[in-house]
Amino acid sequence: MAERPVAQENPVLVADDLVMQFAGHRSFVDVVRRRPTPPINAVAGVSFTVAPGEVLALVGESGCGKTTTANLLMGLLTPTGGHVTLHGHKISGRSRGELATMRREMQMIFQDPYESLNPRMQVADVVAEPLRVHHVASSPADERARVVRALTQAGLTPAEVYLHRYPFQLSGGQRQRVVAASALALEPRVLIADEPVSMLDVSIRAEILNLLRSLATSQRIAVVMITHDLSTVAAYADRIAVMYLGRIVEIGHAKRILADPQHPYTRALLSVVPAPDPASRRRPQVLAGETPDPARIPSGCRFHPRCPVAIERCRTDDPALIPIGEDHAAACVLVEGGRRLPPAPGATAS
Amino acid sequence: MTAVVQASAPAVTGLVVQRGFLARLIRRPMGAIGLGMLVVAVLVAIFAAFLAPYNPYVHPHVTIEDVYQPPTAAHLLGTDDGGNDVLSALIYGARVSLIVGFAASLMTVLIGGTIGLVAGYRGGWVSTVLMRFTDFTLVIPDLALQIVIVAIVGPSLLIIILVIGGLGWTSAARLVRSQTLSVRERMFVLRARAIGAGDLHIVWRHVLPQILPLMLATMVLAVSLAILAESSLAFIGLGDPTVISWGQMLNFAFSRGAVSAGAWWALLPPGLAIVWVVLGTTLLGTALEDVLNPRLKRHHLERDRSVRVTEPEGMSWLRAEPARKDAPLLRVRGLTVEFDSPAGPQRAVHDASFDVRRGETLGLVGESACGKTTTVLGLLRLLPPGGSVTAGQVLFDGEDLMALPESDLRAVRGKRASIVFQGAMNALNPVHPVGDQVAEVIRIHEPEVGRKVAEQRARELLERVGIGRRRYGDYPHAYSGGMRQRAMIAIALACRPDLIVADEPTTALDVMIQAQILELLGGLSREFGMATILVTHDLGVVAQVCDRVVVMYGGRVVEDSPTPRLFADPQHPYTRLLLASFPDVLHPERPLQSIPGSPPRLDAMPPGCPFAPRCPAAFDRCSTIKPPAYDLGDGRRAACLLVEPSHTPPEAVHG
Repeated sequence: MAERPVAQENPVLVADDLVMQFAGHRSFVDVVRRRPTPPINAVAGVSFTVAPGEVLALVGESGCGKTTTANLLMGLLTPTGGHVTLHGHKISGRSRGELATMRREMQMIFQDPYESLNPRMQVADVVAEPLRVHHVASSPADERARVVRALTQAGLTPAEVYLHRYPFQLSGGQRQRVVAASALALEPRVLIADEPVSMLDVSIRAEILNLLRSLATSQRIAVVMITHDLSTVAAYADRIAVMYLGRIVEIGHAKRILADPQHPYTRALLSVVPAPDPASRRRPQVLAGETPDPARIPSGCRFHPRCPVAIERCRTDDPALIPIGEDHAAACVLVEGGRRLPPAPGATAS
Repeated sequence: MTAVVQASAPAVTGLVVQRGFLARLIRRPMGAIGLGMLVVAVLVAIFAAFLAPYNPYVHPHVTIEDVYQPPTAAHLLGTDDGGNDVLSALIYGARVSLIVGFAASLMTVLIGGTIGLVAGYRGGWVSTVLMRFTDFTLVIPDLALQIVIVAIVGPSLLIIILVIGGLGWTSAARLVRSQTLSVRERMFVLRARAIGAGDLHIVWRHVLPQILPLMLATMVLAVSLAILAESSLAFIGLGDPTVISWGQMLNFAFSRGAVSAGAWWALLPPGLAIVWVVLGTTLLGTALEDVLNPRLKRHHLERDRSVRVTEPEGMSWLRAEPARKDAPLLRVRGLTVEFDSPAGPQRAVHDASFDVRRGETLGLVGESACGKTTTVLGLLRLLPPGGSVTAGQVLFDGEDLMALPESDLRAVRGKRASIVFQGAMNALNPVHPVGDQVAEVIRIHEPEVGRKVAEQRARELLERVGIGRRRYGDYPHAYSGGMRQRAMIAIALACRPDLIVADEPTTALDVMIQAQILELLGGLSREFGMATILVTHDLGVVAQVCDRVVVMYGGRVVEDSPTPRLFADPQHPYTRLLLASFPDVLHPERPLQSIPGSPPRLDAMPPGCPFAPRCPAAFDRCSTIKPPAYDLGDGRRAACLLVEPSHTPPEAVHG
């Protein structure tokens, strides 16, 4: 996956051919029989860039490697291949101290706002914690000012009202805003949001997504949003990277991909998202079976056993990302040489 | 149910634990009694010099007549072998016993806690080494080693404390390690790591506060063990001879002829004192564990919920409805569910009414805590403890489920009406093959079916839900999440029910698996003419699979409408906002709105329309009147004053 189809000026965050292999689980029988255990290829050559002010959505089903990718970006895992660069500096292979400094630039928002806040800490302490860890604030007054600024940025206004509340006194949306404020306290350049709304009620998802969007636009923060839900990213992401079994199978401009997906997996994934419109009951293109075990990745194109339009070549050829148009690339042999993806058999247009 | 579970969730882990802690401890009889017993013992030990009639450390001149004197006014508990007052010795003995108990248990918790914390937090080889060391210490026979050490080093109080504390920490280490392991996996610890916090910071700020309560309970229980150990050592003559402890008193009494002298007063009081303190600490420790580790004591499905049905209220509009020939399979009328709470009954579902016909899929939608789950649990009388149906009728094929005796209702549940829960895939029993669990349901409800036939039908069902008959003998752990959910659907279908209730059946699943499961449910309901109630928050799913939609808010049905009409022309402002908040993958350019605020809590229901505080269209009357569901024709109803037949828009008044 040496090819990097999407070039951008001055990306703040670059993932360059990231590979993450975990040792497979070795059962007792394997040890006795001296059977080698296949490694688990959680991430198998993932490259992308994120520019300041841009929202990139990493989309895929569970087991596709999107969360592992997030942990690699954050330096919480050390990749077995490739590297992550932040402002042109490699993250991988740094000491803990250096990593801690780099983490100030890059913060994370987690999935579950009910779980990711320590129930015994007040909002002020939650937001101040990163400042204290990194010894950023010069005085208690400075710390308070930064905490108030972060809460305000996260839309918790007036901030003073929230300072001494405990998580259980807040609604789900407010909790997620506190998590965001704590991430914003260090004035990061990159925010990684791992399923930031999937645990929230639908009625408050928009407010959190709007917050992330406006942080990207107004503060020029680069946002990497990890999600399994194409419909929530549709309105908020600038670019989308669709992952399947540890690889990016399609990447590019969000609206273009949603309007005209060129990888059969993206197309299937898009077709099964239930649209809130009974007038357009679509025939979803339900793929049979489930995502294969990342320890046993199929030969050739890793999607071919479930692909409705697979041809003979797909069993043997492992396609790289092929540029299709401006800021759009798909890893499918069927779109080589400027061809378009053929329609799936039995599928009706939406 | 959702509302209640969520309202109590913070109490489990949050600040409430700290604030109302003592009050909740004392409210338990065990806690109050245990704490009281211990406080008495501690006070006696502290004020021994004032309470004791004599100082047992000052030996007066005694004659042979003074030995083993039975209780008199001068010696309330008689005298011992040295002619000393037993009561005074008993009072002073409390000091030694309690000092040994608390000091040794503190040591236990410090050593065990540190080892458990380090092993649990670091994991890997550190954990292996520490836990092997713990196991090694655990297999040493405590008393034997204590005897050897004390015999060699000589009996002094300090040595006794060190020996008891130095050997008794193993269970604390194991307990703290397992607790640390689970805290370490919590999201807020991961978040602290992502912030860049160091280990010391994480342990101090995030891990330790979570395990301190457990350590406290462990320590209290360790006190009683230490006191028992000290008494045993003293009793066999290895106590510190220079101090008076209850064990020492027993030892002297036994070895110096109290039994043959019939001097029960020299033996019984120290024995009872030991029992007093041990019982007190054990009661307190157990109560502490109970308060700090609230677990669901009984599964809510195991219990029969009483049904206190009274006359349904506020449903005159329904009475007027003429009986139709094609009566629906399920007719819910005025269903009202209340939960007991310290502040009195809280109404979670209020006067809910709707119909489900054969072959029809009904969507029950709304935000969390709006009463969706409580409604479906209520209509099958599966409410958790504390909840009961207080009014309403649930006519299932003409029979009122609320009036049926529990035994008859059991025959309905699972056989004619099945329910699939949200986390259902975790409800499979891990020690039985999945196929057997499907066959079991068939045999429970149709005892006349033989084992072979039941197995045959279970295999067919597994085939039907897309698992395949060959996986009959596999255990749940060999199934993926989607497969387990399919297995639960197979179980729900085992007896060909007329009604299937699916509570968020796909929420935890990937979109592709969700599509597979929904396609399966849709196909099955068409094939068997099943009625389905689908509880979901996903309006996309509703639009794609449901025939009718019931929107709930604040425990009330606010809108009930055929699906196409609901999406095309929503009548209730809540429905409108809900639709506007839901993303449409086909129209990504449509801006999404969120609904400000959150649904009302059960204990703080607004006096008027429950949605009024969040409603952009609310006007003065909305804050006082609870609107009933107005019939709008075409099978549509909405509970909003804006659609009230006599309603004139407020602008018109001024215009």
